[in-house]
Amino acid sequence: MSAVTARPSPLRGDFIKLAAVALAGLAALVLFPNDLGLMTRIASSAFLVVSLDLVTGYAGIATLGQAALFGLGAYAAANANLAGLGEPILMVAVGGLAGAVAGLIFGAVVLRSRGLAQLVLTIALVQLVHEAANKLSDITGGSDGLSGIDVAPILGAFRFDLYGRTGFVFALVLLLATLAVLSVIVRSPFGLKLRAIGRDPGRVRTLGAAVMPALLVTFTLSGAVAGMGGAIEAISTGVVGLDSVSFERSAMALVMLVLGGSGSLYGAVAGTAVFMGLESIISAANPFHWLIIVGVLLIVVVLFVPRGLTSLAGDVRRLLAIFGLRRDKR
Amino acid sequence: MTALSAAPTAPILLAPAAPPALAVEGLSKSFGGLTVANEIDLTLARGDRVALIGPNGAGKTTFVNLVSGLLAPSSGRIDLAGEDITGLSDVERARRGLVRSFQVSRLFHGLSVREHIELALLQRTKRTNQFFAAIGRMADIADEAAELVERLGLADIVDTRIDAISYGQQRLTDIAMSLALKPKVLLLDEPAAGVPTRDAGRILDVIDALPADIAVLMIEHDMDLVFRFAARVVVLASGRIIFTGTPAEIAKDEQVRAAYLGVYGREEERHGR
Ligand SMILES: Nc1ncnc2c1ncn2[C@@H]1O[C@H](COP(=O)(O)OP(=O)(O)O)[C@@H](O)[C@H]1O
Ligand SMILES: [Mg+2]
Repeated sequence: MSAVTARPSPLRGDFIKLAAVALAGLAALVLFPNDLGLMTRIASSAFLVVSLDLVTGYAGIATLGQAALFGLGAYAAANANLAGLGEPILMVAVGGLAGAVAGLIFGAVVLRSRGLAQLVLTIALVQLVHEAANKLSDITGGSDGLSGIDVAPILGAFRFDLYGRTGFVFALVLLLATLAVLSVIVRSPFGLKLRAIGRDPGRVRTLGAAVMPALLVTFTLSGAVAGMGGAIEAISTGVVGLDSVSFERSAMALVMLVLGGSGSLYGAVAGTAVFMGLESIISAANPFHWLIIVGVLLIVVVLFVPRGLTSLAGDVRRLLAIFGLRRDKR
Repeated sequence: MTALSAAPTAPILLAPAAPPALAVEGLSKSFGGLTVANEIDLTLARGDRVALIGPNGAGKTTFVNLVSGLLAPSSGRIDLAGEDITGLSDVERARRGLVRSFQVSRLFHGLSVREHIELALLQRTKRTNQFFAAIGRMADIADEAAELVERLGLADIVDTRIDAISYGQQRLTDIAMSLALKPKVLLLDEPAAGVPTRDAGRILDVIDALPADIAVLMIEHDMDLVFRFAARVVVLASGRIIFTGTPAEIAKDEQVRAAYLGVYGREEERHGR
């Protein structure tokens, strides 16, 4: 038994990655004080992409409708606010709860089918939600969007300022907390089962583990994360538009996930930050051709770094090991 | 030809005889017009070591699929330890100790060898619904995983991703998962096929060392392995059991020799599908 090496502790690596996200956020706060609106949108979108990663990267179910859960969380939080709920933390809780319920229903529908039909079903669902939001203008503001959100200071103490500092720190702290909780979950026994299900659900069944309940739980969890992101976006921008429940938003989330590397929480975050950061820089520099440039960049990444940008870290480590610069454990 | 399964004789002992570990009765399955399982009767007693042999396409894998619940039979009945499990799902059968392996390993891309074994151990001990527990802190899992890893000679690669190890090592990981489930009945579909000799020997050693009370059915083409492993050999051809007997009886039987052994004496057929 002595020959078997001790189990590597994954939590230390997670802590380092979490610290890196925190540092990147703080650096953004200092370096881009005039772009905190964008930084906050990156943080709230990261919730969407991370939630997508749970379903797609971990559980292996491709969806092009994830924004439905994000947007429903945003609408729920906004409506709660218009009904008198000012506390932003509670608004995020409302968004998360709405997203969780939506995720459960979404999962229950989507899991009835498989493969390509399943993917089409996710598109149909997000279009349905989009159309419903368009029609139910009393609670969604229709195509004008829902505005008039008036947020109270966080815990009665931290007022949202004009520069968006409070909003960004709020989003960042919640993102870090969510990532911390999720990193524990994906490493837990349930998380291990989930990763296995994502690769071969049939094999997991022959081990005696039911797959469908685990997937429903995952959709619910994913919905909660997406809904929280939607609520944070509603809080920080003060409006909820139809685009937040759109197919386009869902597809962009998938692009960001692939860019960063699916099946890794931090890949999802990195993909969001890189994509939205580049998008912003390129669209400012070249307002006419930016989409083409972004498209070409994406193709390059998908062709040459198929496992996403975060896989590069491992490649660099391996290279260093090859050149003897770093002692590799193996 | 002997009887397919020792038909239970009238109980002479006072204690009621324990039901067989697995009893299959009249199991049939057709794909369209093709009958791939034809009225199969087969009983495994506790601790049985049975080899299931037969030419490619005979229906051996289909039989394991039927018994493990991956396929629904057209007719017939399956009892596990005296309980009818014909209507139960594959999940439920596995939970009751009916464990199978696959002819071509089905493993989880991206997961390490250790994680495969841990998953099976966690599942057996009913812990895969824990959300916040740290697997690394579970001493019993660590100990049992280490023991399995040692036994299967996987220590050097225990934290390597499954896609980065050799096929023989993948087969050993697959078997480690099955063992981690502590099965009562174990169905092995060609566990040593396509595996280099060194790893194949390890696989056979492990199977030899299985707890005596597990009933094991192994599909295997290599007659040397069959002779070493099995107390009883069942020959399947075109979905029908054509012979049951001891390895020695099988070797003597002209019909089996003609239908089967002659073909499988040839090396290229050994590692067939
Ligand atoms: N899902 C299926 N649909 C149709 N035919 C099948 C299916 N699975 C197996 N068969 C057929 O059943 C026969 C038995 O296959 P199999 O059980 O894999 O044989 P063996 O394991 O003995 O080589 C073969 O003719 C095969 O083509
Ligand atoms: Mg077969």
